[in-house]
Amino acid sequence: MKRVLSLILMIGIGSFTLRGQVTFPRNDVKDERSRAFIFKNATIIVDHQHTIKNGMLMIKDGKIQNVAQTLNVPEGYTVIDLEGKFVYPGLIDIYTSYGLPAVKKIQNNFWGREQIQSATKGAYNANQAIKPEYAAAEEFAMNSEKAKKLRNLGFGSVLSFRADGIARGSSVFATLGNDSENVSMLNTAVAAHYSFNKGSSTQSYPVSAMGYIALLRQTYLDAEWYKSLKTKPFTDQSLVAWNQLQSLPQIFETNNWLQLLRADRVGDEFGKQYIIKGGGDEYKRIQEVKATGASLIIPLNFPEAFDVEDPLDAMKLSLKQMLHWELAPTNPGILEKNGIEFAITTHRVESGKFWKNLRKAIGHGLSEETALKALTTIPARLINMDDMVGSLKTGMVANFLVTSGNLFSKDVVIYENWIQGKRYVINPMDQLELAGKYDLNFMGNSYNLEISGKPGKHSAKIIINDTTSVKVKMKVQRELVTLNFDIGDKEISDKEIRFSGWVDGKDIQGRGQLGNGDWVSWQALHRDDLSEEDKADPVADKADSDYGKVLYPYLGYGNAQVPTQKSLLFKNATVWTNESDGIMQNTDVLVKQGKIVKIGKNISDKAAEVIDATGKHLTSGIIDEHTHIAATSINDVATNSSMVRIGDVINPDDINIYRQLSGGVTAAQILHGSANPIGGQSALIKFRWGASPEAMKIKGADNYIKFALGENVKRSRSTASRRYPQTRMGVEQVYMDAFTNALEYEKEWKSYNKLSTRQKATADKPRRDLVHEAMLEIIRGQRFISCHSYVQSEINMLMHVADHFGFKVNTFTHILEGYKVADKMAAHGVGGSTFADWWAYKWEVRYAIPYNPILMQMAGVTVAINSDDAEMARRLNQEAAKSVKYGGMSEEDAWKMVTLNPAKLLHLDDRMGSIKVGKDADLVLWIDNPLSIYAKAEKTMVDGIIYYDMQEDLKKRKFIQHERARLVHKMKEAKKGGASTQKPFETSHVEFHCDVIVGDHVLYLGEH
Amino acid sequence: MYQIAKIMKRSILLIFLLAGFTNLTMAQTMVIPANPQSTPLLLVGATAHIGNGQVIQDAIIGFDQGKLTVVGDATQNFDKAGYKVINVAGKHIYPGFILPATDLGLTEVSAVKATIDNDETGSINPNVRSIIAYNTDSELIPTLRFNGILIAQVRAFGGLISGSSSIVQLDAWNWEDALFQADDGIYLNWPNREKRLFDEKTFTFKTVPNENYSPQIRQLEEIFTETLSYKNNEQNQKANLKLMAMKGLLDGSKRLFLNVNDAKGIIEGVKFAKKMQVKNIVIVGGGEAYLIKDFLKAENLPVILGNVHSLPRREDDDVDLPYKMAYLLHQQGILTGLSYRGTQSSRNLPFFAGTTGAYGLGKEEALKLITSNTAKILGIDKRVGSLEVGKEATLFVSEGDALDMRTNRLLHAFINGRQLQLDATQQALYEKYKNKYQEE
Repeated sequence: MKRVLSLILMIGIGSFTLRGQVTFPRNDVKDERSRAFIFKNATIIVDHQHTIKNGMLMIKDGKIQNVAQTLNVPEGYTVIDLEGKFVYPGLIDIYTSYGLPAVKKIQNNFWGREQIQSATKGAYNANQAIKPEYAAAEEFAMNSEKAKKLRNLGFGSVLSFRADGIARGSSVFATLGNDSENVSMLNTAVAAHYSFNKGSSTQSYPVSAMGYIALLRQTYLDAEWYKSLKTKPFTDQSLVAWNQLQSLPQIFETNNWLQLLRADRVGDEFGKQYIIKGGGDEYKRIQEVKATGASLIIPLNFPEAFDVEDPLDAMKLSLKQMLHWELAPTNPGILEKNGIEFAITTHRVESGKFWKNLRKAIGHGLSEETALKALTTIPARLINMDDMVGSLKTGMVANFLVTSGNLFSKDVVIYENWIQGKRYVINPMDQLELAGKYDLNFMGNSYNLEISGKPGKHSAKIIINDTTSVKVKMKVQRELVTLNFDIGDKEISDKEIRFSGWVDGKDIQGRGQLGNGDWVSWQALHRDDLSEEDKADPVADKADSDYGKVLYPYLGYGNAQVPTQKSLLFKNATVWTNESDGIMQNTDVLVKQGKIVKIGKNISDKAAEVIDATGKHLTSGIIDEHTHIAATSINDVATNSSMVRIGDVINPDDINIYRQLSGGVTAAQILHGSANPIGGQSALIKFRWGASPEAMKIKGADNYIKFALGENVKRSRSTASRRYPQTRMGVEQVYMDAFTNALEYEKEWKSYNKLSTRQKATADKPRRDLVHEAMLEIIRGQRFISCHSYVQSEINMLMHVADHFGFKVNTFTHILEGYKVADKMAAHGVGGSTFADWWAYKWEVRYAIPYNPILMQMAGVTVAINSDDAEMARRLNQEAAKSVKYGGMSEEDAWKMVTLNPAKLLHLDDRMGSIKVGKDADLVLWIDNPLSIYAKAEKTMVDGIIYYDMQEDLKKRKFIQHERARLVHKMKEAKKGGASTQKPFETSHVEFHCDVIVGDHVLYLGEH
Repeated sequence: MYQIAKIMKRSILLIFLLAGFTNLTMAQTMVIPANPQSTPLLLVGATAHIGNGQVIQDAIIGFDQGKLTVVGDATQNFDKAGYKVINVAGKHIYPGFILPATDLGLTEVSAVKATIDNDETGSINPNVRSIIAYNTDSELIPTLRFNGILIAQVRAFGGLISGSSSIVQLDAWNWEDALFQADDGIYLNWPNREKRLFDEKTFTFKTVPNENYSPQIRQLEEIFTETLSYKNNEQNQKANLKLMAMKGLLDGSKRLFLNVNDAKGIIEGVKFAKKMQVKNIVIVGGGEAYLIKDFLKAENLPVILGNVHSLPRREDDDVDLPYKMAYLLHQQGILTGLSYRGTQSSRNLPFFAGTTGAYGLGKEEALKLITSNTAKILGIDKRVGSLEVGKEATLFVSEGDALDMRTNRLLHAFINGRQLQLDATQQALYEKYKNKYQEE
């Protein structure tokens, strides 16, 4: 299956002909036909730009020989008259798994036994999800049933890949004909495929989006290194294949705009511009999507309307779900308007819905020209097959459609789909034209029958009067006609009437049975043609004028207009400075360009908006040293996961950002979880509600990393676990090992770098290792540890390890037994970021006491209170207040534990954490003493931008209510109009704590 | 045996509490249950929060032999002879807070199975009694008392019918001693109409209908109808522990605590219980009770809300919905109490109430949620829940507003007039390390 090397050499062979089968044995007399045809009188759409009216198309041996207004008809060609018909290039779908076996689904059990090594047999990659050696060409087998489905939609050729793994190997390009694979496969290795989904891999690592990214990055480095080696120290056929695939188009699968941006960032790092399969929601962040510069492959996966009749059930829906129902069909049009190049795929869209949705997209802003491009020339060009498919030019594969008219009109009939010069009839072309007005006579009564639509797609109704009509089910098979209807008159027939008949000139007649079984004769006499008005049947759905606005972020509490910076002057506030001035009464604070510019009495500034803060408290924003909100994933599972980065998976659309703004939080460290002794790299963010993932990050902030000790990392709750370490003893060894090896790594590189250019030419380069590099950064003081910790023995151990390697542990987080070793912590210079009162959840917290903060403070440790919890984070002011209760800490000191002290622990105190001229205007205006349970944030601002405002919040609630009501009404209208619907369901995000693991197949909810 | 070993281990720090004598230099790790009240006590000069909405400034609160004898202000005329006066001027007095629907004493460390006794196997367990597993020596209990919680209703979780709950007071030698009211109710988890599935594609949970909903309701229907026929003809039936336990629901001697959150589930659960002739129904959880206030009012049903300090369930919900939910129910005149599921934060009950105070209710109305309202809901309001003459002297004195963590600092606490020892292991550890660092 994986004899990849020889296969890849076949790239570019490409031009099979129908006579390619000469090598095959015969079981008949020789019957080789040239399939030479000339089509005339057709409207030929050569490509989206060129149309030839009344043109001619000449094909032979599966190839187009010529296309022109007029052509001489040589001997030996069959002429087909396509009077009134249209000819289009066959459509192309470059995102299918057509002809490939289904991928085995696997179920991981997080609490089960870990699989540390790859289970792939043979000399392949160390990670089971890296499968570049997979060549779809080796397994590709035509599938007549699936081919027919796609042909019926108008597709003539597809790219086909196996959706398995993070690196998925190469795809094939094939036509959808019924000939053997030898004929239909046009290219055996057309593109290389990637995803953020480990597929059937049973290996434990990676389980998270950030793990997928880290694995991809390391694999790029490994492949480059492996290629550079003169002598290979080991055989890795996956890396060989990876390198061979690099010259092909690189296609990355994503399912939403967030993943799309992440994939592009990976590509940027390694000089790759992926073609990205999107999720169909690009409109939500169109500017960022555009900035990637990527060409896209877009599905038409528009959601169905919801059943909203029951208001309690409808509450399950979020505004975001409802709005996406409305706006998803606008996505292709918005992409077009923004000049983003894209192909359209049938991926994950039922075949019955493809055309419906495409026409819907056209109704909602997509031009027909772009739609055609997205199904022909663009996909062809993206995968370098545009010399063979995508347009109707001499020498290209004879893949084309014959239709009744404009391909995108609602009543178009696709008659034939020609593939490699072979005809596949979809709807017989010789269908009779029956449209018109008829007198339907039976039992002495006469009715007004109207038949509309195109041949092969007729529909009929009986018009009773101006406002009522009866639908007639009509079926036409060549000259035979069947009609079924319920006339609604009991005296004539109490049940449905069934007619069977035949066409007789312009009329139709036949026999039929009434509801009671009586046989009758009937006639439909042609009276008149349909008027132009009756025929008028414009393209698909009409566009709406009243779309909801895209919200940033895309949920109810988002903003259509992201708020902007203003000059603000707070008058007469009680100002908690966190500086030597302490708590200042009746004081003014002026904010300009996102900075605090003046603090004092009687400040005035004409340009500033004045906010009366009389009786209110102004403080710097709360900084949460330990959060897990605003990220798509939190834990990966390698014992040393230092190569994974939370910064890769920031999710700015987390409602908890807004909820925490309402609790006065303005910045946080998003930490990796505590599943491993060495966790991933942190992201430090400000709560800029509505910003892009990158814009959330605090520019120039120091680098941090999560470490963890104790029960979680030794997998105490899994009896099946065999992952090293299983004891606190082993945890120490993990650290000793990681740092020792990092130093070895450094040495290796140093000696390599010392070599002269000439020596380097013959020497092998050392391997770059993202894990060692992160560990080295720690030793060199370029990355700082925040370590999840509970009991004293292990806390002391880590300080010894740090001393041994000559660095300082920056922060112990949780640190519930910090009070027992606070003197040692002070001596080491490590801070403590703890809970106010939180225990009873694990054995290792049984000596947690609420006096921990005050005791650590007494010993001289910088103490912060963190949340590690999306709910507690919005009450961190109250958590700080608990130290006033437990141990009698001063209110000023208590307040610093959630502002200035975490800023210090995060090395941000030069710009955040206190109210001081020159610092960032991350401020909160409280209606009461901020330590009181009765305090509420009235305004919360980041960089001088007010992101939460109590009054604005009330407006947002109203907005949500009205917007929901509007969409409920619209959905009900859609349902009335015949749209199919789905039952409402509730979606909710995983709320992350330290040991929540979410991967493609894994989920565990735990506590701290 | 374990308990003895524990005592030996800590005996170095052990100082016995003697009447009228406290050693402040070294705290006690052992919590010793207080002796019955021997001296009549008079608390003078504090602001008394009665627990029924009333506040008395400069109050006089007297009690003798465990019962309140005087509740009034300084102007009240009465014979102070025999009372030992404690001056608490400027302080605040509250009735002991009541924590319902808790597994306090049944769960010590939620990650360690050996310490958990809150969920019996099987789905219909009305006969299972929480009280006999209630561990009076749980190290968590002093941390609740320290915040003002003096009474708790202990229940089991799990299954459809989890078991019989009992009410305890939090200063006792053993469970028999702790009993305030035995087997006061039965906890029933109304089946979920929907279940949550994890959707890999979107990394979110998605709800789908629960196919077990109807079968589970049928299961409940069976036990209730059997109970009815059992009750009507007990002499001629074979003994059945489950039906015997259930019987009290039908004769009114036990309350049915109907654990349910979603609006439609509440309606269906209540209709079911009424059909089954249950006399007293209490909604526990009630996350969506605010959506069907009219129904609850019409049925005159009380609600014990779940954790106030929680996130809104839905993204579009008002950001402060859990905080103001009690207010929304109160507005409609629904009798409301507060609870907390789990042991990790139940000690913060006063601050849950404080939050509801900040979000619409006001302080005194918020106080009722954890005192008189809960007492009424549990049917113990004749004995506790407010500071009224004749009721039990279960109360405490705080430095300031006890619903605010900034000012909640207990000076004295009494259960039935017995003065509690408030300090325990945590305070001992505090003293131990404070001394260490102060000496250094």
